[in-house]
Amino acid sequence: MYSLKVSYLCKHYSQTLLFKDISFELHPGEVLAITGWNGSGKSTLLRIIAGLVRPTTGKVEMFFKGESIPKESRRRFVGMVAPAFSLYEELTALENLEFFCKVRGIAYDRKSCLAMMERTGLSENAHKLCRNYSSGMKQRLKLAQALLHSPPLLLLDEPGCNLDSKGMKIVENIIAAQRQLGMTVIASNEKREVDYGDRVINLSE
Amino acid sequence: MKSGRWITETGSSTYLSEAVAIWLRDLRGEFRTRYAVNSILMFAVTTLIAVSFSIGSFRIGDDEQPFLYAVLLWIILVFSALSGLSRSFVKEEEAGTMDVLKLSARPQAVFLGKLFFNLTLLGALELIIVPSFILLMNYEIKLPGLFTAMVVSGGIGLGGGTTIVAAMIAQASARGALFSVLSFPLLLPLMITAIKGCEKSAVGTNNPGWPEVRIAVAYSIVMIVMSLFLFPLIWEESMQ
Repeated sequence: MYSLKVSYLCKHYSQTLLFKDISFELHPGEVLAITGWNGSGKSTLLRIIAGLVRPTTGKVEMFFKGESIPKESRRRFVGMVAPAFSLYEELTALENLEFFCKVRGIAYDRKSCLAMMERTGLSENAHKLCRNYSSGMKQRLKLAQALLHSPPLLLLDEPGCNLDSKGMKIVENIIAAQRQLGMTVIASNEKREVDYGDRVINLSE
Repeated sequence: MKSGRWITETGSSTYLSEAVAIWLRDLRGEFRTRYAVNSILMFAVTTLIAVSFSIGSFRIGDDEQPFLYAVLLWIILVFSALSGLSRSFVKEEEAGTMDVLKLSARPQAVFLGKLFFNLTLLGALELIIVPSFILLMNYEIKLPGLFTAMVVSGGIGLGGGTTIVAAMIAQASARGALFSVLSFPLLLPLMITAIKGCEKSAVGTNNPGWPEVRIAVAYSIVMIVMSLFLFPLIWEESMQ
């Protein structure tokens, strides 16, 4: 139903070339892993795909039943987790999810938010302020937030960041479930996470 | 579960409902942290007390009172607003929540949500400062209707102007200085109009149609409508 087409992406920061001529297509059920040295542009590539950063050249297109989705709308079809992202620390985990439901136009349903928290292993801490969360719990909440609208495109930048073995299992389950729902792009240098990919793009090459 | 829940349920999402969600989130966050409220109120109360002690109600001649009190009132309101209203966007950048917000909400809804939040803060500021100023300075107002309309319409214009400037400076490094420098020329016409209107309400000059209020209302409408067009460009421009 949905597909992603990335054509000849190139990104410069000032005079520094991060990457060039990155092209690929992604279809429902596929998982793409992006790897590369620190500073090779993995996170930037994910941010470009999400529509948060403009590429120097090239383009990213997302299609729904063959029709191109406008760039401004594309962001809302994306669920993204990244180390640089934060959620609202002065709100509880459940209030965060409630906010993102409302702002995304999803009818707020406490039960499905709690179910999402259950899925990411946070149900016991649903009413705790996020500022009191550990970094691993924050990562789990970011995963819950990214999955809230069942996005057709899931972008995971170092998804296992700060997670324990149980958390890593949750990530594995999320990626497996996303194969039924849509596409996944993972940026990581961790072998376990790169191995989830059906294909691998190495930005250091 | 079907993929693309947003597509199927987008019918329930309007700019207004998204804006209200952002407004309520900001209010809830502000209620718990009180960063902006503390900053605005501390500035306003300190300035008000300093002005009332140093000038008082007896050092200014009766003829000059309406004009000078109007000037002092608007100086307190505008500079108090400048001390805290930039927080609406700056805190999103500082906390690292801006990217998630960009992925979740439409730019116009974000602007409206932040505008509602700033207007709420300004409303609270005016509710506290204006009656206190009137009492402490023994400020005699002959046309309370005109005065109230001027304070309300001036507050809306002030909120509209400061919100769009806050959005522009959110990613800059010298935010505080930039916010004041950029806001001042933008707010100057409104300040002059509001001072004139408040002076007339104190003197009792009842011009038909309250021209100063109409100017402030027009300023607010133009500022908010232009900002709704401008904000998506600022939003896109931040994606380098």
